[in-house]
Amino acid sequence: MKDAIVINELAKEYVRGSETIHALQNVNFTIQQGEFVAIVGPSGSGKTTLLNLLGCLDRPSRGTITVNGINVSDLPEGKMVKVRRQNIGFIFQSFFLLPTLTVRENIELPLMFSHRKDGNGKIDSILNTVGLEKRADHLPHQLSGGEMQRVAIGRALINEPKIILADEPTGNLDSATAQRIYDLLDSLHKQGLTLIVVTHNMDLAQMAHRVIKLKDGEIAG
Amino acid sequence: MNFIKLAIKNLMRRKMRTMLTVFGVAIAVAALFSLSSFKDGYEKQLTKELDNMGIHILAVPKGCPYEAASLIIHGGVIPKYLSLADLEQVKTMQGVDLATPMLLQQFYKDETPHIVYGINAADMQKLKSWWKVEGRFFSDDEDHVMVIGKNIAEKKNLQIGSTMPFGPNKEPFTIVGILDRTGGQDDEFHFLPLAAAQRVFDKDGLITTIAIRVKDITKISQVGQTLETIPDVQVVTMSQIMGTILNLVGSAQTLLISVIIVAIIICAVGIINTLLMSVNERIREFGMMKALGASGVDIGKLVLIETLFITISGGILGAATSIIASSLIEGFVRGIIPYAPSGQLISSDPQLILLCLAFSVVIGIICGIYPALRSARLTPIGAIRSSYE
Ligand SMILES: Nc1ncnc2c1ncn2[C@@H]1O[C@H](COP(=O)(O)OP(=O)(O)OP(=O)(O)O)[C@@H](O)[C@H]1O
Ligand SMILES: [Mg+2]
Repeated sequence: MKDAIVINELAKEYVRGSETIHALQNVNFTIQQGEFVAIVGPSGSGKTTLLNLLGCLDRPSRGTITVNGINVSDLPEGKMVKVRRQNIGFIFQSFFLLPTLTVRENIELPLMFSHRKDGNGKIDSILNTVGLEKRADHLPHQLSGGEMQRVAIGRALINEPKIILADEPTGNLDSATAQRIYDLLDSLHKQGLTLIVVTHNMDLAQMAHRVIKLKDGEIAG
Repeated sequence: MNFIKLAIKNLMRRKMRTMLTVFGVAIAVAALFSLSSFKDGYEKQLTKELDNMGIHILAVPKGCPYEAASLIIHGGVIPKYLSLADLEQVKTMQGVDLATPMLLQQFYKDETPHIVYGINAADMQKLKSWWKVEGRFFSDDEDHVMVIGKNIAEKKNLQIGSTMPFGPNKEPFTIVGILDRTGGQDDEFHFLPLAAAQRVFDKDGLITTIAIRVKDITKISQVGQTLETIPDVQVVTMSQIMGTILNLVGSAQTLLISVIIVAIIICAVGIINTLLMSVNERIREFGMMKALGASGVDIGKLVLIETLFITISGGILGAATSIIASSLIEGFVRGIIPYAPSGQLISSDPQLILLCLAFSVVIGIICGIYPALRSARLTPIGAIRSSYE
């Protein structure tokens, strides 16, 4: 199997005034294509920081990240955009839907940025996958939290990425709704996608092949 | 989904602000548009008015200031006179093609000033070849006849053959002709045979000015110089009159222009501020879009379309309003400016419309490029985070 993500001696520091916060230190691991990995750890341990780096949304202070064979550690932002478009689907904890766009339009949005058209009913099949066929023309404020998160997942899928990254996708949801999201993520993984999920939720972590534990910015055990 | 649709949805999200910004642009463009069309129209009309005189040089009594001489074309009366002897001398001067005497008088009737020109009809018709008269002109030896301008005929409802009491002694004068509309000051005047005017106003043998046409218009100033060798005569050329008027108007115009320019700048700064503000408060959203695969160029494109929507619709609205309201604006401007030529001052030149639209587009582009540059270098997280700073 090929490597989806390789990270080497990764470190991220935040400078706040005279204080330097080591959010990540000496992080090394490899995630293979098709793997399902959960990242867990106490609050403030650097999970979000790590996921943002893997998703090419932020830049490391030191170390290297290779995504599908491309070293993105010091790629200029202009080129990073392409890597993101072609490889990564990102799901935020707080959904980040556009309030004026319908469910269908929110899911469609990334297509506009990758300059592609909705070929052979891709949006419809995604609406199907996330179970929102009947909600296609609703606006985000008319949806429940679980439905909003499913829109966000659908949106992450539209560009057919190889890797899906999700930051606490069930953090804002009750357990029954969360279960639906787990099932959805699990089915995506079964279709061959690489799945990396940050979670506090042990049920979700148990579904993963592998659990990476973070503590104080370092991998613990 | 495409950029235009998304831009419209974003604008609809902030309906009130969008509308106010459109109005802001409209006001700035309307001001700019009226101002530049006024400046254009003013000089055009002035030149036309002077051309319409068909006269190259006016000979006036010595000591008559240019400012007063300028008013001659407007029917102003100067209390000094030339004699018929001066006229004979002018006629013999080299380079003079035609010289014809005029006596200008004013009298009040029904509280309004009436301007009277005593003229030699045959000469005047030569100078003003475009004059067409309904009825006929008079000959020099007639009396109690007159030709009136179209506006007077319409205002007083006078026809050919009507008789009106005229002058200080209310003598009956018969209207033998009505001048076709010239679009100039002539529409407001009464024309009498010179001798009749001299008799009625008790100015025997006196004339106010001599209108002169030269043989070669490139030699106007030379002819002017030779004319000034006549002791009583002072010469005013049409270009001097134009200069005097422009000077007179200049200071009022400058004030008006500076006020409007300041207003436009304030407007432009306000518009830019609003547009940038709505970009700044959305940097977080742009960061999210970047996480979904948008590039800095995409963000710039989106914002550019939004701002162009605002500025172009404001530009169109502003230009349209100022065209529709031009007569209102014209009346207002006429009240401020000390000398306004007749005819339409505000001309809606299509080039001007383009210029004003260009102005609004430029503002739109300035505001669209900024977020593109700003978000192009930021990583998505950088953008999402920068909104908290
Ligand atoms: N922009 C920032 N500036 C300064 N410090 C930051 C910034 N973002 C995160 N940190 C710090 O880095 C550390 C790791 O933060 P991170 O958000 O990655 O934690 P987390 O594991 O995702 O926590 P949680 O489970 O609460 O979401 C924390 O100590 C946090 O305070
Ligand atoms: Mg977190």
